Amino acid sequence: MIDVLIGFFLATLITQAFTTRLFRLILWYALNSLFLGLIAFYEGININDDEMKIMGIVTIAVKFFAIPYILKYFFAKFNIPRSIKPITSIQYLVIIIPIILVFTFYLITPLLNNFAHHSNYIAIAISSLMLSLLLMIEHKNIAAKIIGFLDIENSLFLLGISATDGMPMLIEIGIFVDLLMLIVIINILFKHQGEAQ
Amino acid sequence: MINYILSILLIFLISPFLTGLIKSFKMYMLFKKPLSPFQPYIDFMKLIKKEVIYSKEASIISRISPFLILAPIIVVVFLLPPIYKGSYYISFMDAFTITGLLSLSTFFLMLLGLDSASSFGGIGSSREAFISALVEPAMILTIFAVSLMAKSIGLGSAAINLATHFPTHHAASFILAGIAFFILLIAENGRIPVDNPETHLELTMVHEAMILDTTGANLALIETAGALKFGVFATLFATLFLPFGANLCWCLAVTVFILKLILISLVVGWIEINTAKLRLFKVPNLLGIAMIFGFLSLVTFYIVGV
Repeated sequence: MIDVLIGFFLATLITQAFTTRLFRLILWYALNSLFLGLIAFYEGININDDEMKIMGIVTIAVKFFAIPYILKYFFAKFNIPRSIKPITSIQYLVIIIPIILVFTFYLITPLLNNFAHHSNYIAIAISSLMLSLLLMIEHKNIAAKIIGFLDIENSLFLLGISATDGMPMLIEIGIFVDLLMLIVIINILFKHQGEAQ
Repeated sequence: MINYILSILLIFLISPFLTGLIKSFKMYMLFKKPLSPFQPYIDFMKLIKKEVIYSKEASIISRISPFLILAPIIVVVFLLPPIYKGSYYISFMDAFTITGLLSLSTFFLMLLGLDSASSFGGIGSSREAFISALVEPAMILTIFAVSLMAKSIGLGSAAINLATHFPTHHAASFILAGIAFFILLIAENGRIPVDNPETHLELTMVHEAMILDTTGANLALIETAGALKFGVFATLFATLFLPFGANLCWCLAVTVFILKLILISLVVGWIEINTAKLRLFKVPNLLGIAMIFGFLSLVTFYIVGV
């Protein structure tokens, strides 16, 4: 089951790199977070860890419902342009994304022996980290950069689930509150971009 | 053997219903009064009786190509994977044969478009060549990935292997291949993000432009070929990428199979009402995404390990 969810996680992340519309980007981000939350929930059931189940539910509540809603509100409020053209054209992305994936998997191979189980999850988590970085690099628009940052957070959470058996719950909750604060603070940046146009 | 013939008959009979279903579902969702899903059968009966008219410039190609468009697709229907366990199937054919036969059909469709000597036909043929050239690499990558997962290059045995022991640790790779194949299903059948099957607007039409000059029984044959092509792709998707239900007893298995086909049609219709048609020069981007997903599926397969 987790294999299926992790496939969808990677698929939504790659689709984000090709998206040229802002609200569609938020939708893909929300779906990405939904799959992340489900992964955490199932992993919690598998290793019988109540904290991780709660983390999964909180992830879905915060990242699938709250953050996309707040972002959409701010985007509408500050008239952020809806069309987000990547600087890199899609023809090059077709070449760049497989190169990134192959390179990451190649890079991670020596490390994989250290982890008894879930070695492929770690490879996928690190490659999704790289893909989120690509998402930040390829856009000029501040809104897309922020989504890229949130994606990096998602990949780190996936890495945290798969590499360790879950971080302490206090830290995770702290990160969520951090993220919510960050989203609120970010609207100062939006304000500047809104004025520039 | 009788199972084999019956399942082929089922695919022949249900394919026009699926295209009709997509159309009526779209009309229902757009708050129009929906057509009956059985409209393609009525159209077929009407067109088959009508007189065939050829244009003055038409050569022998116009006379033979409707049959040559339909024939490879009929052959493909005979090579499809079995829809329930214990059914007879042809094991020596791999997916590359099917890709080749479908390309042969497309080739004659393009010749037909060029042969009528109208400028629309030429436009349509060049666009179709452009799209089908881009579909090929993604299709081969996807099918190669599926064959690796199912441990068999033959299509029938691949479907049976997937249905009996599904490789759960390759599920991520499987999902990615499934997404790639779904994009190819849309692109090959000329559904909305790539081509709109309902308009006759000169800027947007691809498939319709090529068959603009065909009439009567020839048109009926070509429309049947289009419906069958959708049926073939939907069957491939249902047997390879939704591999459940084939191990039940035959009546249940066939019911599950028909439900899967209807589900695929509804999803295609739902995508059609939610997306705008892409500009022609953005179609490579969509097919590039399919290619990436196919490639990614292969990479993930090798990472997880055989």
